[in-house]
Amino acid sequence: MNSGREVSDGRLTVEGFSVAARAFADKWKIHNQSFPPWSWVPLINRTLHLSNQQEEGYLSLEEILILSSLEESPEDESLNVATDCLEKEESVDHTILNQENEAHYYDFHIVYSSSYKVPVLYFRGYCSGGQPLSLDVIKKDLPSCSVSLLHESKWTFITQEEHPYLNRPWFKLHPCGTEDWIKLLSQSSISTGCQMPVDLYLVSWFSVVGQVVGLRIPLEMLN
Amino acid sequence: MSEKETSPAILQFAPLNSSVDEGFWHSFSSLKLDKLGIDDSPISITGFYGPCSHPQVSNHLTLLSESLPLDEQSSIASTSHGNRNKCPVPGILYNTNTLESFHKLDKQSLLKAEANKIWDDIQSGKALEDPAVLSRFLVISFADLKKWSFRYWFAFPALVLDPPASLVDLKPASAYFSSEEAESVSAACNEWRHSDLTTDVPFFLVSVSSDSKTSIRHLKDWEACQGDHHKLLFGFYDPCHLPNNPGWPLRNYLALIRSRWNLETVWFFCYRESRGFADLNLSLVGQASVTLASGESAPTVPNSVGWELNKGKRVPRSISLANSMDPTRLAVSAVDLNLKLMRWRALPSLDLNVLSSVKCLLLGAGTLGCQVARTLMGWGIRNITFVDYGKVAMSNPVRQSLYTFEDCVGRGEFKAVAAVKSLKQIFPAMESSGVVMAIPMPGHPISSQEEDSILADCKRLSDLIESHDAVFLLTDTRESRWLPSLLCANANKIAINAALGFDSYMVMRHGAGPTSLSDDMQNLDMNKTNKQRLGCYFCNDVVAPQDSMTDRTLDQQCTVTRPGLAPIAGALAVELLVGVLQHPLGINAKGDNSSLSNGGNNDDSPLGILPHQIRGSVSQFSQITLLGQASNSCTACSETVISEYRERGNSFILEAINHPTYLEDLTGLTELKKAANSFNLDWEDDDTDDEDVAVDM
Repeated sequence: MNSGREVSDGRLTVEGFSVAARAFADKWKIHNQSFPPWSWVPLINRTLHLSNQQEEGYLSLEEILILSSLEESPEDESLNVATDCLEKEESVDHTILNQENEAHYYDFHIVYSSSYKVPVLYFRGYCSGGQPLSLDVIKKDLPSCSVSLLHESKWTFITQEEHPYLNRPWFKLHPCGTEDWIKLLSQSSISTGCQMPVDLYLVSWFSVVGQVVGLRIPLEMLN
Repeated sequence: MSEKETSPAILQFAPLNSSVDEGFWHSFSSLKLDKLGIDDSPISITGFYGPCSHPQVSNHLTLLSESLPLDEQSSIASTSHGNRNKCPVPGILYNTNTLESFHKLDKQSLLKAEANKIWDDIQSGKALEDPAVLSRFLVISFADLKKWSFRYWFAFPALVLDPPASLVDLKPASAYFSSEEAESVSAACNEWRHSDLTTDVPFFLVSVSSDSKTSIRHLKDWEACQGDHHKLLFGFYDPCHLPNNPGWPLRNYLALIRSRWNLETVWFFCYRESRGFADLNLSLVGQASVTLASGESAPTVPNSVGWELNKGKRVPRSISLANSMDPTRLAVSAVDLNLKLMRWRALPSLDLNVLSSVKCLLLGAGTLGCQVARTLMGWGIRNITFVDYGKVAMSNPVRQSLYTFEDCVGRGEFKAVAAVKSLKQIFPAMESSGVVMAIPMPGHPISSQEEDSILADCKRLSDLIESHDAVFLLTDTRESRWLPSLLCANANKIAINAALGFDSYMVMRHGAGPTSLSDDMQNLDMNKTNKQRLGCYFCNDVVAPQDSMTDRTLDQQCTVTRPGLAPIAGALAVELLVGVLQHPLGINAKGDNSSLSNGGNNDDSPLGILPHQIRGSVSQFSQITLLGQASNSCTACSETVISEYRERGNSFILEAINHPTYLEDLTGLTELKKAANSFNLDWEDDDTDDEDVAVDM
């Protein structure tokens, strides 16, 4: 695995990604306990070259809950109220109908892009009933600094594309700038030129990308 | 919120809520389309739930793509997120094929049938072996696979105790247990949750000995637990988060307890977590009092309730997934993404909105028309109208990129019609229409019977030009370009002209119409002479010098031009249009030349220079840009002609059509030519004007 030890051009190999992913997940578990841990989802039946020790896969962090203020309930088409006569509910037996704050759930996947050779952050949001959230609604859930980062930075660009494995549209942060700013990061942090150890790749990457979606990582993770 | 009127209060349960992941609908749609077809027999599905994990939000019973019976599933390793939050629960799905049958389903009997199954499981003892069956559920649905919308309704059947159970006491578990006991209970629960064998068993016994040791046992070990304990509680994963109410699963649990073990007093433990570990502050312990059935020999099925409410109302829920499942919408967002990427990476000031809203009229659906249409689509232009009176001939498909062999068999399809069909096949969201019509031409006299229909065509053409924003002149004769040029000048519409010779091409944009000057609000600059306007195709006849490249005639029938020309010219025509659309002055933009490196016009458009005319040759592999001003004597766009048209309308048109020299007489061209022919002009000396410079590209 000597080829994957260090990254000097801002890009990762497939094997490097697996290594970096585990390192990232481990550090996250230790330092970032306010969040649940990332889990590794292996991909089967995908690779033709079975000689890989490292399986291919992606990192997944799901069901992150954000309670947003209940403003408009994004209700679907008005239903014609089918007033069926059900058997009389014993109203005594029913308690408060859970009119909760609108709960939004978010799933995050870190997936390797073989064409750009960098990791890509995919995400989606949905209500408690399962309805997907539109990008406008998601932006309202983001902290304001994230929204301004999205606007101003030329490195971040949210698009909606097919998730490479789930065949459904997810949002993602487009990776076309990643290689460049990773190189910038590695130049500034490490004195020996532009080298960055593979272990730290995802941590560094996420320190930038996570901010866009409102997930900060504690500084200790960067050591 | 137990109302303590008299003692004790009725036990009130928080209803269970459903959550259907998008993936479930995707998988179900595939299942319906690929396998089931119109078969609407009930489908066994699996729901998933887990204990509450957040103090402010209850957990739900969830349907995922894995909820459907597996065939050959996707390449993802399923449910690798740990089974601890996904206790499987059996359920059944009734999906109807129409909305009417959805409403006609007999909900009462469906609910009763499921409740019966629960009751049977209780009686038979299956509920002790596999307690998850106590939370069996039912879903009815209608999947509209044309609109990608799904209507559904969950029911969580609960056996109703009669008389209802009453609540003696309810408090947080941490208040009920001593601190020693609490520690030991937490540890035992975490162990239970940690082991793969037990983590998805949602009902269990909690036995605490007098020396504060806790053991958690399966329900079926109840006999074995007797006498063993100091405290024995009936524990269950409680999805509800509320501090004063237990969750729905307790209902059938109580029915089971009452039926199997005849207990009057039941201590229950609502297990809830936070951060993945037992949380005894959030978890509740309560004592319920149950009235035993008095002396009934054969236990009868109790009534059942449990249809889920939708925001308090007794109506089904619905979800629309058109945005993520409708292939046309997916194609649209993919194409839009492409354009946005171009803008983001290369041209931040690109105005994409003007492109998606512009309406283009293509006069001619031949070699040039097909190429222009294709390139327009690449720029995200969606609104294209074709005008062509011809049919697809056998020699066409190889050169005209929208047609295939199928279009020419038999009598051959009309080009205008075939082109529209082709566009829709390429990109379903195109808004495209075709008009089968010939363009009236000057100098081709017509009989008086034809007059009416010719005038009708003129009117039709005029209306078409009015209702579009940009017009491409792509026909294969010079005369057929005259009327459109005139009408565009009259209406001040952007006109892009492309013409082919055997091995040369010319692409140009017409200048603004002459009336645009007087329409302007006293704009001093523009109030000058016609010199400010760029010329049109017919202005060239007089103004542009005859250089060697243009000796060869243009407007050849397309079958005799070199095939590479039409794609080049068609593409240039579109790029020229886009340049005009992006330019702040639009149709009034001045013409640039590629030789001049003036900073002036270059800053105006992010795309680069905006020439007036482009002429190229494949015999030389060369291309130049030219600039030509409008001519006062132009037969198509001069003020003389336009005002004559405005004044006399149809009679003017008819005269132009019927009398070969009418236009030239009108504009004084006849006089001019006479004068020109009467002496030798020394072209070389006169034209040292730098505006027309030949540059090799």
